[in-house]
Amino acid sequence: MSTVTPDAPPTTGLTEGALPVEGPGAPAAAKVPGATSKLWRGRRPITPGALSGDTVWHALIPFFVLSFVILVAPVFAPYGSTDVTSAGALHAPTSGAWFGTDEIGRDVFSRVLIGMRVSWFSALGVIFLGTIIGGLIGAVAGAFGGKLDMVLMRITDLFLSLPAPVLAIAVVAAMGPSLRNTLIALSIVWWPWYARIVRGEVRALAARPHTEAARLAGVSRTRLVLKHLLPGAMAPVIVTMSLDVGNLILALAGLSFIGLGAPPPAPELGAMSARGLQYLFGHPWVPIAPAAAVALLALAANLLGDSINRRLDQRTTR
Amino acid sequence: MAALVLRRFAAMLAVLFGLAVIVFVLQAVIPSDPARAMVGASASKEAVEAKRHELGYDQPLPAQFADYMGRLAQGDLQSSLRTRNEVVEDLRAFAPATFELAFAAMFLAAIGGLGLGLLLAGGGRAGKGIRLLLIGGASIPAFLTGLLLIVVFYSWLGWLPASGRVGDNFVVPDGPTNFLVIDSILNGTPDLTIDALQHLLLPAITLALLPTLAIARTLATSLDAVQKEDYVRTARAKGLKERTVLLKHALRNASGPALTMGGLQVGLMLGSIVVVERIFAWPGIGLYIDQSIAYSDFPAICGATLLLGATYVFLNFLVDLAQAWADPRIRTV
Repeated sequence: MSTVTPDAPPTTGLTEGALPVEGPGAPAAAKVPGATSKLWRGRRPITPGALSGDTVWHALIPFFVLSFVILVAPVFAPYGSTDVTSAGALHAPTSGAWFGTDEIGRDVFSRVLIGMRVSWFSALGVIFLGTIIGGLIGAVAGAFGGKLDMVLMRITDLFLSLPAPVLAIAVVAAMGPSLRNTLIALSIVWWPWYARIVRGEVRALAARPHTEAARLAGVSRTRLVLKHLLPGAMAPVIVTMSLDVGNLILALAGLSFIGLGAPPPAPELGAMSARGLQYLFGHPWVPIAPAAAVALLALAANLLGDSINRRLDQRTTR
Repeated sequence: MAALVLRRFAAMLAVLFGLAVIVFVLQAVIPSDPARAMVGASASKEAVEAKRHELGYDQPLPAQFADYMGRLAQGDLQSSLRTRNEVVEDLRAFAPATFELAFAAMFLAAIGGLGLGLLLAGGGRAGKGIRLLLIGGASIPAFLTGLLLIVVFYSWLGWLPASGRVGDNFVVPDGPTNFLVIDSILNGTPDLTIDALQHLLLPAITLALLPTLAIARTLATSLDAVQKEDYVRTARAKGLKERTVLLKHALRNASGPALTMGGLQVGLMLGSIVVVERIFAWPGIGLYIDQSIAYSDFPAICGATLLLGATYVFLNFLVDLAQAWADPRIRTV
């Protein structure tokens, strides 16, 4: 790390102007009250090339709206996930029970609504966990470079060179099937993508003048990473995250389908479809309704991801 | 090119070693006691201890690892807790069905992806609608595809069978490849060939759908990018036919990303093969994994993971070489 300390306080305009600079001879903070927070709410990104917070949040609004709808939808479900209706077992869809009832007379529509909530938020959970683990590893590798970078990236490459779904199956099988373990397993195989993206962005930004300026200003390495490098990696990470939700919904449903999820009677879409398989010919709504719900969720996620991708990714201007 | 092959080969060996390490770590952290599972729940404490000693689980981890790698090198994957057979024997019995299905799906995905990608390239006004269609197609879980195909082609139309590899009234030949389609051709039994192909079709389409769309999308994007390059304009300016420009000049340079995507999709395909084999009662490794999960048969799952992982790594090694063939610029890196 550079120990050069400037005579003048950093006023490059690229830095915040109020950095608590470390090191001997660091200038007393030339603090302008209020300026920092104003900048951070920022219409203006602190890192060149990074998108302002507003652009990112605006692109994400439909995503939050949909998440909210999925969150509250089960409130309007006519039955609970394990309630047995009076219609009897394997009753065909009616105006009262839109998707009919399953093999022990539970309302399929209610279970599907609740299952969709589980799927959606599980997928988001895996993505956040994967992003945090991957982002941390990528940021450390990118910022420190050298041997540490090499070791971390070789491990990342190893995971990227192996079939993630197969590994996930082995990990859940090792830990014992449960929803929590499935989420952990998927996070374990999902982080490498984020590690590589963040590391790449951090390396690219580290070579840019604003980083040099911050470094010359004597900014600590932690602060350099958190304030000057990571914000620039935000947009590609958010784009990848939004494109991944659909993939994760499908991956989760697949694992749940083969019995690696919450044990019955939990309303998981994949498991519901798998258990309904034997009723496919006589009572097709039992296996097909949850499968169609998975497709609907993944479709919504992919469409949103696509729109976010086109709004935030400046490189793909088509 | 030879140096590149050697380098990629060394990298492949390193990844395979990493795979073995990961599986070993998983074996070391499982909460259940494999020795207890092998001797049974009612066995005495001494019997469990004896089994632990026999399996080497009372050794320190490095010694266990050395032992594990030694056994792996000899092709010993322990015995399955469920079938009581050697896992290697089980895999040998189940693998041909899976590989036949996977190769059929890869073949469909390659043909379909190539054709659809070429169709989509330069789609112009139709582009947006087609993109939405591709996004829609990529949102369908494999089990929905499988269920719908069964309902339509088996239940409604009665055109195709929906379970197993072959009809009950056929005698399955034993060898030489254990790929039913190939064996039946070699043995000169066309009835069996047709029956095997019919059984293969629905599961292969189910597996191939997502990879086909992903490959088509990637290929179309990179074709569009390549078509803007100067050399393509030169080819057009020379008065070459549009088809010649596309197939002879643009396609080879654009195939790199599509090949990478194809390699990646194989990984996803190997994951969903468990789902597809269960739906179509396809007697392969996926079904073996599915049944092993229900019994917490960890040696079997480890063995299957090693086999599928190694297959994926090897196929991606081939993809790397294919890319180097398609794009000479890669060879110098």
